[in-house]
Amino acid sequence: MDMLLPFLVSGLGVGAVYALSGVGLVVLFRASGVLNFAFGAIGALAAHCAWSVLEADGGQALAWAVAIGVSMAVSLAYGRLLAPALAERDTSIRSIGTLGLALILVGFAEWTWGEGPRRLVLPTDADGLEFGDVRLTWTRVLGLATAVAMMAAVGLLLARTRVGLRMRALADDRGLSALLGVRVLSVDGVAWALSGAFAGVCGMLLANIVRLQPTLLTFLVIPAFAAAIVGRLKSLPVTVLAGVVIGVLEACAILLPGFAPFRTAVPFLVALLAILFFRNTTRKA
Amino acid sequence: MSTSLSTSGRTNVPAPDPAPDPMQALAPALRQHARQQWRGLWAMGAVLLLLSVALLLLSNSYWLKTFTSALTLSVAVAGTALLYGQLGLVSLCQYALVAVGGWVALRLSHGFGLPFELCVLAGGLCASAAGMVAGLPALRLKGLYLALVTLMMAGGYQVLVSAVGFPDGGAGWLGKAQGTGRLMMARPAWAESDAAYLAYVVAWLALILVLIEWHRRSRAGRSWALIRRGEAAATSAGVHVLLYQSWAFGLAGFCAGVAGALLAGGVGQLDGRAFAASESVLMFALTVVGGAYHWLGTLLAGLLLRAVPALLTEWGVNGFLAQVFFGAALLHALITAPRGIAGQWVDGLTRLFAHLFARPPGPSRERRS
Amino acid sequence: MIRLDSVTVQFGGLKAIDELSAELDAPVCGLIGPNGAGKTTLVNVLSGLVVPRSGRVEVDGSNLLPLAPVQRVRWGLRRSFQTEQVVEDLTVWDNVRAVLDHVPAGERAIAQDVAEVLHYTHLADVATRLGSEIDLFHRRMVELAKALVDRPRLLLLDEPGAGLDERESALLREALLGVQQFRGAQVLLIDHDVDLIAATCRQTLVMDFGRRLALGPTAEVLADADVRRAYLGA
Repeated sequence: MDMLLPFLVSGLGVGAVYALSGVGLVVLFRASGVLNFAFGAIGALAAHCAWSVLEADGGQALAWAVAIGVSMAVSLAYGRLLAPALAERDTSIRSIGTLGLALILVGFAEWTWGEGPRRLVLPTDADGLEFGDVRLTWTRVLGLATAVAMMAAVGLLLARTRVGLRMRALADDRGLSALLGVRVLSVDGVAWALSGAFAGVCGMLLANIVRLQPTLLTFLVIPAFAAAIVGRLKSLPVTVLAGVVIGVLEACAILLPGFAPFRTAVPFLVALLAILFFRNTTRKA
Repeated sequence: MSTSLSTSGRTNVPAPDPAPDPMQALAPALRQHARQQWRGLWAMGAVLLLLSVALLLLSNSYWLKTFTSALTLSVAVAGTALLYGQLGLVSLCQYALVAVGGWVALRLSHGFGLPFELCVLAGGLCASAAGMVAGLPALRLKGLYLALVTLMMAGGYQVLVSAVGFPDGGAGWLGKAQGTGRLMMARPAWAESDAAYLAYVVAWLALILVLIEWHRRSRAGRSWALIRRGEAAATSAGVHVLLYQSWAFGLAGFCAGVAGALLAGGVGQLDGRAFAASESVLMFALTVVGGAYHWLGTLLAGLLLRAVPALLTEWGVNGFLAQVFFGAALLHALITAPRGIAGQWVDGLTRLFAHLFARPPGPSRERRS
Repeated sequence: MIRLDSVTVQFGGLKAIDELSAELDAPVCGLIGPNGAGKTTLVNVLSGLVVPRSGRVEVDGSNLLPLAPVQRVRWGLRRSFQTEQVVEDLTVWDNVRAVLDHVPAGERAIAQDVAEVLHYTHLADVATRLGSEIDLFHRRMVELAKALVDRPRLLLLDEPGAGLDERESALLREALLGVQQFRGAQVLLIDHDVDLIAATCRQTLVMDFGRRLALGPTAEVLADADVRRAYLGA
C-alpha cells in the first residue's frame, strides 16, 4: 500500500485534470452540439503563451491570466465566427471542423515556439505539502482545488442560473429553444467561452505536470475523451468520476510488470470497455 | 406481360397497339450509361499511367522516393475516403492501421522470407482485423463515437508501436535485431530499383481503386448509398446496416494495411516514432480536402500529405506551416467545398465537356427540376 | 387483407394507438385523421419500427409481429416515407435496383423486373439520370417504384402525392389504382388530400387520438358526422 500511495496521489492529480477537461468537453457538447477536438490544442496554445510571459518575467498571476484569456478568446472566436458556418450540418461534421482548428493551433504553436519539449515551471512548484513519502507541489494542490471548484461552479451554473437553464434548453432542443426566444448565439458564446477557460486551466496544469509540448498536450485530451465517452457525452458526474479513475489507473499501471510502457493506452482500454456495454440506443426510425 | 395505363378512367384497357417490351425500350439508355461508367474507369487508368510516366521521367532520386511515399499513402487514403464518402463515417486511426500492416509485412518478410505480395496481403488482412477490434463496437453507436474511438485507437497504437518498434531482421516475437545487422525489407525482384518500385506502387494503387470502384457498382455500393441517405430508408429497403458498415470498415483497414506493407518496402525500415496519432488526423483531414467522393481526391490527398511538405522544405519554408495550411484547408473544405478539390475539378471538367460536346438545342423534352 | 386486433402502442404515458381493431381488405385502403392521430405510428407498427404493447397484426394471414423489419421487407412489406428517400448520386435505375439486392430472388429476371416497374411508374425516360437531377414528380414515382419491385404484398404509402400538381396527381392515381392488377399487392395510403383518398380508396380507416373513429366505404366515412367534426371541418 505504501508503494501504491505516491502513484495514487499522482494519479489523482492528473485524474482531476482529466475530469476537468472532460467536463469542459461535455458542457460544450451539450450546449452547442460540437465535440471540441481542439480542446487540448487550445490548452497547449494557452500554456505556451503563459510560458512566454514567465520567460519575460511577467509573474505567475499574469501568466495565468494570459493563458485563460487566450484560451477563452480562441474558443469564443471559433465558436462565433467559424462554428456557425457549419451549424446546419450534422454533429460529426461540426466536430470535425474543430479538428481543422486543432491542426491550425498546433502548427502555429510549433512554428512559433518550436517543437522542443520544455517544462512549464511555475513559482508555486517550489514548495508543497508533504505526506510521508509523497510530495504535492502547491501547483498541484491549487490545481486540484481549482478543478474541484470549477466543476462545482459549472454544476451550479447549469442547475441554478438562468444562463445555465438556457444552456440546458439548447442542449435539449436547439431549434425549439430558438423558437422560444433563447438567444442561441449568445448562449452558445457563453458555452464556448466557458469551455475555453477550462481548456486554458487544463492546458496549464498538464503542461506543468507532464511537459510543455504542442502535440503532446493536444493529444493528452484523449483521456478526457475517454472520460466523456464513459459519461455518454451527457452526465457530468459520471465524466468526473471516469476522469479520476482513468488518471489513477494510468498512474498505478506503472506497477504492473511489463505494462509500464503501455500505460498511456489505459484511457483507450477503459473507453473500449465502456462502449462494449452501451446499449444500442441510437438506431431509430 | 406488360400492363398499360389508360388515362381515361379506372379500368385498365389494353393499349390499341402492343406496348414495347420495357426492357428493350430501356436498353439503349442503359447501354449508354454503362459505356459512361466504363469510360470513367478507363480515364482513371489513363491518368494513373500518365502520372507514373510523368513522375518517372521528371523526378530525381529524392522526388522519386517522395512520390512513391505519396502514392503509397494514397492507398491508405482510399480507405478513409471510402468510409467518409460512401458512408459518412469518420475514421481517425487509418495511419495507425498503416503501422499494423507495415509491422506484419516486415515480420513475415524478415522472419519467413515470404514473397512480397503475400506480405502485402497479410498486412492488409491483419490491419483490417485490427481496425475491427475497436471499430465494430463503435459502429453500433452514433457516428461521433466512431471518430472518438478511432482517435483513441490511434493513440493506443502510437503507444504500442513506439514501445515495441518495427521488426528489422531479429528473432523472437518482435523480430527486433540487436545492435548491428538491421535488415531492410526485401523488395520484389522486378521492382528493386526506385523507379520500378514507383511503378509497382502505382499498380497496387490501381488495383485498390478498381477494387473499391467494383464495390461501388455492386450491391455493396448501392447499400452504402442507401445508408448514406438515411438509416431508416436503408432498413426499410432491407439493408442490414451494421453488416455493410462493418464491411466498409474492414475494407478500409485492408487498404491501410496494404499501404503499410508498401511503405515498408519503399523505405526499407519503419520507425516506431513516426506513427503518431496526429498523422492519422492529418490523413483524414487531407482526405476531405482532396475530395472523398472521387478517386482523383485520393491521389491529391496522398500528394498533399507527402509532396507538399517536401516542397516546402525545398523552398526553405518551416514545415509546421504546412499543418496550419492543412487545418485551414480542412475548415474551408467543410464549409464551402464538401466534395473537396477533386470534386470541384471534376465538376468543372464535366461542365466543360458538356458545354463542348453539347447536343444541338431541340424542343425541350425534359421537365425542369 | 390487413387485420388489426386490439393493437395498443404506448410511449411512456402516452397511448399513441389505443386498442385499435380493424379489417382492411380493399385493394387500396385509405388511412386518414388529424395530425397526431397515430397514423404514422400505425404504419411504423406495420413496418416493424415500433413494437406494440399488445395486440395482433396479421396481413394476408401471416402474423407480422414476430418478424424484424428486415424480415418483413423480405416477406413483401414495402414502405415509402413522407420525405422521399431518393439517393442523390445513384441513377433512378440503381435506386430501384437497390431494393432487389435484399429481397430473395424471384422468378422474374432482375433487369426485366426493374424495367417493367420503371415503365409502369413513368420513369423510363429518366432511368439513367441521377437522383439529384430529377424533379419532384419523378422522385415520388421512384418511391412508388421501389415499393413495386419483386413480389410486394403490402404497400404502406405515406403522403405519396405531396407537392404534385393536377396532372401529376392524376398519373399517381392511375398508378395506385393499378397496383393490385400489376403486382397483386394491397396498398394502404395515408394522405391529407381527401380528393386523392376519395378517388383511389374503396375503404378508409379514420383515426383520432389513437383510436378508430370510423371504418368503411370511403364515401360513407367521409360523410360521417363524427369524421366531419374531428377532421374535415363540419
